[in-house]
Amino acid sequence: MKNSHEIKRKLAESLELPKDIILDIPKITMIGDIQMNIENHKGIIEYTNNCIRIKIKDGILKIMGKNLLLKIILKDEIVIIGKIQQVEFTL
Amino acid sequence: MLVLRLWNYLSGYVIIQIEGLALEEFINICINRNIYLWDIYKKNNTLIEAKVSIKDHRKIIKVAKITGSNIDVIKKIGYPFWFNKIKKRKMLIFGAFFSLILLITMFSFIFDIEVIGNETIPSEKIVKILNDSGLSIGSNRYFINLREIENNLLLNIQELSWVGIEISGVKLKVNVVEKTPAPLKIHKDIPSNIVAKKYGIIEKVIVKNGKAMVSEGDIVSPGDILISGHMEIEDLGISQYLHAYGEVYAKTYYESEKTVDLIKTIKEKTGEKVTRKIIKLGKIEIMLNKTNNPYSTYVIQRESKKPFKCRNIELPVEIITEEIYETIEIKKTADIEKEKEVLHRILIEELLDKIPRNLEILNSYTNFIIKNDKLKCNIIIEVIEDIGEEKIQ
Repeated sequence: MKNSHEIKRKLAESLELPKDIILDIPKITMIGDIQMNIENHKGIIEYTNNCIRIKIKDGILKIMGKNLLLKIILKDEIVIIGKIQQVEFTL
Repeated sequence: MLVLRLWNYLSGYVIIQIEGLALEEFINICINRNIYLWDIYKKNNTLIEAKVSIKDHRKIIKVAKITGSNIDVIKKIGYPFWFNKIKKRKMLIFGAFFSLILLITMFSFIFDIEVIGNETIPSEKIVKILNDSGLSIGSNRYFINLREIENNLLLNIQELSWVGIEISGVKLKVNVVEKTPAPLKIHKDIPSNIVAKKYGIIEKVIVKNGKAMVSEGDIVSPGDILISGHMEIEDLGISQYLHAYGEVYAKTYYESEKTVDLIKTIKEKTGEKVTRKIIKLGKIEIMLNKTNNPYSTYVIQRESKKPFKCRNIELPVEIITEEIYETIEIKKTADIEKEKEVLHRILIEELLDKIPRNLEILNSYTNFIIKNDKLKCNIIIEVIEDIGEEKIQ
């Protein structure tokens, strides 16, 4: 499993393919601290106004902030707006 | 995103409240079943608010059953809901439709006829001919042929050289251009004289046909014969009347004068003032607060506001704010040089309006007289002009 992941990473690097597609990991775009777009997620684990935990491949993405609101939530994209203070990856 | 919001409004959406314990699971199931939720906001631990489209609202009820949560619709937003509400009120639709039709029909009639550009022909005459050719106040704009009426107007009134009729809204504008009458011409074969049309001192006489009766330096008054058409050759005993023809140039004078007072009374504000408000409806003025004018010498400043004004249509309602200032009269002697300059300029402008264009100005004489605190200015301008005029004997 770890081996195949390594192969994929090397393949993506050598062929200059987008890593988020090849490795199936999230692509996160932030606009200042007011908006965050997460592509390629695996679902939502916890949602409160101060904390959002999103399942991603091989772990959890934790976003802390104030007045967080799920602006758009689709199968492969989440848009969060609000005041983002902290972003944390946990395996 | 405006487009997205507009689309959402047109397709309709509901704001729902989901109450339950496994809310994250609820959202996940929604995602997996392609139910589009947006603007999700957590109110408290067991309550979230979200927006969902009408179509997905039915699906969401099934999801709620699975997760064991409660769904309440808080608000319905969008065009379909509005349309449903309207559908029940048939009279309202009928009324709106009826008033629209009424409005369109009302605006297809002509309410006012305006004649622009006529100077000598009375507007009533033009309007009367318009009425005769089928265009009057109250006729429908879709049933009249404007070009035909224009032609009719031109045929009926000979003094017009051009007519343009246009309809702007409920107003009919008739633009007319009058003919400028051509100067009277006497045919070459008819015997005539050339006479003076104004006072002048003869400067030059050019005779092309006929006999010059005046020479340089003569003073002529209106009506004097300048070039005669009567030819007489005594030796041969011929006496003949011709069509006199030529140009007579003479010095003519244009004069203008004006008197101004040098001592001026100036009203100076003392600072005391009284304000009063007046509402004007048409021609009736209604005083809002009763304040009489307490001053013997005063200046009134009026400021009017028209509150109901839309483009060039206005209701005859006016709010007037009147400010009455107390004043003291002060006598002041004006600066003579300045007054002279102003007076001179005014008179010159006045004179240049009187003098026909393209004339050669020879001299100008300016004269100032100060008498009894009054300044009198007199300007004479000397020009050379053709004073000849054809006249049948």
